[in-house]
Amino acid sequence: MSLGVQLESAERSDVELLHAVARGDEAALARLYDAYRVILFGLLVRILNSREEAEDILQDVFIQVWRRAKDFDEKRGRPFTWLVTLARSRAIDRLRQLGARQRLATGAAQEQTEMVSDALSDTIRVAQRETVRQALAELPEEQRHTLVLAYFDGLTQSEIAAKLNAPLGTIKTRMRSGMIKLRALLGKQLENFG
Amino acid sequence: MTHEDYKELLAAKALSALDAADARALTTHLEGCADCQSEMVELLDAAALLAYQAEPLEPSTKIRGQLLASVRAEVQTASRSDRVSPDVSQRDGKVLAFERPSRNIWSSLGSFGALAATLAFVALIIALAVLWQKNRTMQSELARLKAEMNQTQVQRDRERAMGELLTSPDGHMAKLSGTNVAPGAHAMLAYDKSGHAMLMAKGLPSAPEGMAYQLWYIKDNKKMPGKVFTPDAAGNGMLEDQIPAVARDAAVFAITLEPKSGVQAPTGSIYLLSSS
Repeated sequence: MSLGVQLESAERSDVELLHAVARGDEAALARLYDAYRVILFGLLVRILNSREEAEDILQDVFIQVWRRAKDFDEKRGRPFTWLVTLARSRAIDRLRQLGARQRLATGAAQEQTEMVSDALSDTIRVAQRETVRQALAELPEEQRHTLVLAYFDGLTQSEIAAKLNAPLGTIKTRMRSGMIKLRALLGKQLENFG
Repeated sequence: MTHEDYKELLAAKALSALDAADARALTTHLEGCADCQSEMVELLDAAALLAYQAEPLEPSTKIRGQLLASVRAEVQTASRSDRVSPDVSQRDGKVLAFERPSRNIWSSLGSFGALAATLAFVALIIALAVLWQKNRTMQSELARLKAEMNQTQVQRDRERAMGELLTSPDGHMAKLSGTNVAPGAHAMLAYDKSGHAMLMAKGLPSAPEGMAYQLWYIKDNKKMPGKVFTPDAAGNGMLEDQIPAVARDAAVFAITLEPKSGVQAPTGSIYLLSSS
């Protein structure tokens, strides 16, 4: 990783790393962990509101990567998407097991945020974060709010409708419109960063 | 449900926000619909990028060790279960054993004693050999981990420095794109008003023996030399440099292939170039 953990996360090398993991290469798994631990851990803490739970899931995610790397097919998606989807799926499963208890623990999440000392330590990650922030800022507030509730709070469309006291059809429309716009706004980002 | 109805569900699926019944129906439809599969991939890519919206956080360092230990344990377990027990193979074989002749019990005890002592000695030798080998492996692993930690620390220091440059109030960033001699290459140059600059490059071809890549600061067609660097085997390279005062505003940045010692005026092809 002479250039940097984040640069290692470029698509081509990540595909190679996943293939190596599928062949049982522990060092390749370690490199993938190094490349993605910060972004995935941040995501997991944001979803679970608990550093302890997030660390548990993070370890579980990479054990799954170790076991399931042979299932990864680059023709069907990018390594980054595969890893984030896997992590998010595990976190939401755990969140739904835990129920509302974790969702109410907003204070814990704030504490974890304050524990970050060198969060913005990666150039490309900073640029990507800024691009995503700008893209989200371009969405109408109600669409952005719907996406955030689904993505980070793990709520289903029905749960969001109940929470916002809005018709289910309205939530479905907001979610689809928001995602389609987001996909268009992030299209160039996807090309640049793989 | 029609095809269009299913398409309406894709965005929610990408966010894992579908209710159970819709999720089941869509999963079945997706298996046979290439159009929806294709849109699903795009929506999942976009959804994945939302992860960047979360505050990046560093997990405890122990997690990495625990993960690798778990994986190693799994490998060892799998390896053990792959071995076929000799008893099993003998049970499977249809071999009739010869009947052993009976022997005097005292003579047998003496022989067993000698045999046991010999076996114990052999076992001791084997155990010592195994321990010696283990020790060597652990020493080697320790050295490797130390080197890896040092490298990681250096890397993290560099990344932190680059992050600080970018997030400082007077931080700037220039993107460099690969030219036709290195279409797959790209780089980012971060710098502040004091001229402190850091470059991260990716996808560069290996530099031939005696050659290296050199950074250039170009202002009003004047080319000012920067430092040289050699990318690693994967084509990645990093450089810390000081931008001349005159080149800090509205300069163009370029990277050329030059002799390893660096040159005062560019002689080689341009591999990376920022927009003016």
